[in-house]
Amino acid sequence: MKKTLSILLATVFAFSLAACGTRGEQSATQAPSASASSSAAGPEGIDTSQHVVINYMTTGDIPNNDTDAVMAELNKVLTEKVNAELNIRWIEWTDYMTNYNLTLASQDGSVDLVGTASDWLDAWPNSQNGAFLPLSEELLKTYAPQTYAQVPAENWELCKFNGQIYLIPEDNYAQWINHGFMYRGDYAREAGIANGVHNWADLEKYFQYIKDSYPDVVPWDAKADASIVTQMSTGWNHSKTPNITIDGLRQEVFFGESKDNPYTVSRYFLEGAELVNFAQTMKKWNDAGFWREDVLNNTVDTREAMYAGQSGADQHHVSTWYSTVRPEMDKKQPGSDVGFFLFGEENSNVISINITHGAMAIASKSKNPERALMVYDLLRNDPEIYRLFQYGREGVDYTVDGNMLLRPDGFDNALQGISSNFWWGRNDSLELRQSNFAWDEYDKVTPIYAEMAVPYPYGQVIFDLEPISTELDTISNIYSTYMPIIVFGKSADPAAYVQEFRDALKNAGYEKAINEVESQLASVYGS
Amino acid sequence: MEARAKIAWHVKKAAKYKTLLLMCLPAIIFFIFMSYVPLPGMWVAFLRFDYNKGLFKSPFVGWKNFEFLFTSGQMWLLLRNTILYNVAFILVGNVVQMALSILLSEVASDRFRKTAQSIMFLPYFISAVLVSLLVYNLINYDYGFISNLVRGSGGEMAKLYSMPKAWPVIIVLVNLWQTTGYGCIVYFAAIMGIDPSIMEAARVDGANGLQRIRRITIPMLKPTFVILLLFAVGGILKGNFGLFYNLVGNNSSLFSTTDIIETYVYRSMLNSFNFSQGSAVGLFQSVVGFGVVMACNSLVKRIEPDYALF
Repeated sequence: MKKTLSILLATVFAFSLAACGTRGEQSATQAPSASASSSAAGPEGIDTSQHVVINYMTTGDIPNNDTDAVMAELNKVLTEKVNAELNIRWIEWTDYMTNYNLTLASQDGSVDLVGTASDWLDAWPNSQNGAFLPLSEELLKTYAPQTYAQVPAENWELCKFNGQIYLIPEDNYAQWINHGFMYRGDYAREAGIANGVHNWADLEKYFQYIKDSYPDVVPWDAKADASIVTQMSTGWNHSKTPNITIDGLRQEVFFGESKDNPYTVSRYFLEGAELVNFAQTMKKWNDAGFWREDVLNNTVDTREAMYAGQSGADQHHVSTWYSTVRPEMDKKQPGSDVGFFLFGEENSNVISINITHGAMAIASKSKNPERALMVYDLLRNDPEIYRLFQYGREGVDYTVDGNMLLRPDGFDNALQGISSNFWWGRNDSLELRQSNFAWDEYDKVTPIYAEMAVPYPYGQVIFDLEPISTELDTISNIYSTYMPIIVFGKSADPAAYVQEFRDALKNAGYEKAINEVESQLASVYGS
Repeated sequence: MEARAKIAWHVKKAAKYKTLLLMCLPAIIFFIFMSYVPLPGMWVAFLRFDYNKGLFKSPFVGWKNFEFLFTSGQMWLLLRNTILYNVAFILVGNVVQMALSILLSEVASDRFRKTAQSIMFLPYFISAVLVSLLVYNLINYDYGFISNLVRGSGGEMAKLYSMPKAWPVIIVLVNLWQTTGYGCIVYFAAIMGIDPSIMEAARVDGANGLQRIRRITIPMLKPTFVILLLFAVGGILKGNFGLFYNLVGNNSSLFSTTDIIETYVYRSMLNSFNFSQGSAVGLFQSVVGFGVVMACNSLVKRIEPDYALF
């Protein structure tokens, strides 16, 4: 009660301070300032007399569970608190990148809150293209005071482009989304890898053991998706060199030299033996039959194959492992004891994620940006609303035991509870630990990772891709042509093929792009 | 008063044919809205498109969006693949369609002919995604149906998904399988339209089946063929994206023989989501297509003026 009151007071105070300066400021940022300039002040000094619907856009498939029912309940609370209701606009996973960008490009005011990410959802290109509303500090202070207070000033800095804030970062939420391999602990022990797989040599031994001992299991029933190809290429790089990936450059072909020398761009793709080494190892793996012969056209769902005992491994990140695959495998393949091999761990080269891996933006054509911010503030900070939106209805979809969230027996999130895919403002202060996740495993490995991890060193740079856009397009194309062949060992002579790849990159202006990236890094961090 | 007389003449003519014009109206409206109204959209190809500023205020960048097509060094390969596949589709397709419709028209049993036509027609409605799955499950090396047959009979299956040379044949065959039934309809209709009295006369004069086909049916089909050809060549630079993308996917080891402009552009744009470059490619294809149609039409006009489109 006391807390609510103080927040209320703070809001009123912030608004009365801001009110003098807002009018000019807001018209400058093109925010429709109807409510701010209106004279009919509500209890918090903000006019919420008009009931509005806030549309929240997120990636994900339209759920078949009780989302609608939970949303109805949530909307009751939202209406009571800020006289608004929330509607989820789904961008389904099929071609999500295209549909996401297309929806933003063709916005007509039907989207208000936009879940975004600087590394996997084009947050910066969309900011540059004018899809998002610049958020003035007054706007944030007034309409999202709790969030504004929670995010430290240096983090707001990381969300600015041309001096203006475009993103609200999910910066109070610990997560591990570093990639690697999920493998079966039981097979690894049989193969004589007692401490689990922790480097590429172990992985080779593990795959070979499965190939020799389980003829019906494909060691890794891989699918040559672009993401898998990229993760493999980058994973080897991180494991064998001190290179650090630089995000936001379309294709993962730009790496900082090392954590001690991050602003020199690595020439890993142009010279050195490691890439050749990678190509040769993968050729060996291909010839040994670690994946299907037609892997480049394979359409199998690797994870489902692993659940069914037909694939010995799956490639994804730590979070997927402890939250999904490990618990599922414990159920579907009892005793499988799925472990995680983190790319880069053999080399202690692990980077913790950027705070804008998940972030919320306001659509530039939003009709109610102020109310959208108010709703976001509640979704992120109000305990009752947070739990409704994240977990569903207490007593129906979950119960709480300490800080553990218990699901009822036989609970299936595909059929029950809510799917809000709210990955743009989770809050560790309000998080509950879902009892079905493999927390023991999580607590075992994450301290080790945390010890190795260094913070993402490029958080402050937002690249202007315009001067090298032609080069980047061509480089992307070359990468997507050559890399699958290298990663799945499909060339007759890997060394010669790598040379061909390098020549193609050079011809495409890769060196010019490297220089441009270096000079943009230098202009932010000094040379 | 020359002009006024002309207008009066037009009005009179329009009044005379008002029923015909009325019947044409839906098509006219369709083309105005679907083909002419969007024309200013071509302008996007010359802009650095800004979502907020829109079509009229985004900065103009000239030919920059066309550059990537030519700087990649892939253009020659893409043009070659796109054009050769289209030529193969058009020529092989039309010949097979014509041959099959002639055969069908010679079949006496109505029931057989109708069943055969329906079965041939069916693949046209199968989506490219399913087609690609069918093909994959037939010919993939590890467990494909054909692979198993070959191995079962003691043979050695080729690793088709890493054999670029095999794909022109596979793709042309799949395309034939999908489109033949549909294309046959046009030719079959043309054959049905041939005046039976000509055939009667030929028969009376003692011409046998083969002679009638060679001397009457095929020559009578020539205008249809030419018109279909002219329609098809306009799209000579436009590839069937669905077919190629689904059959080949991201298997870059096959790109040397299967990459067409559409798939290349798709892969390039997937990363950058650049409308302007996309429109630039579209404009390039349309302009070349327009040129080819005009050239072919004038060629046809010179050889057989009656068959020309305009």
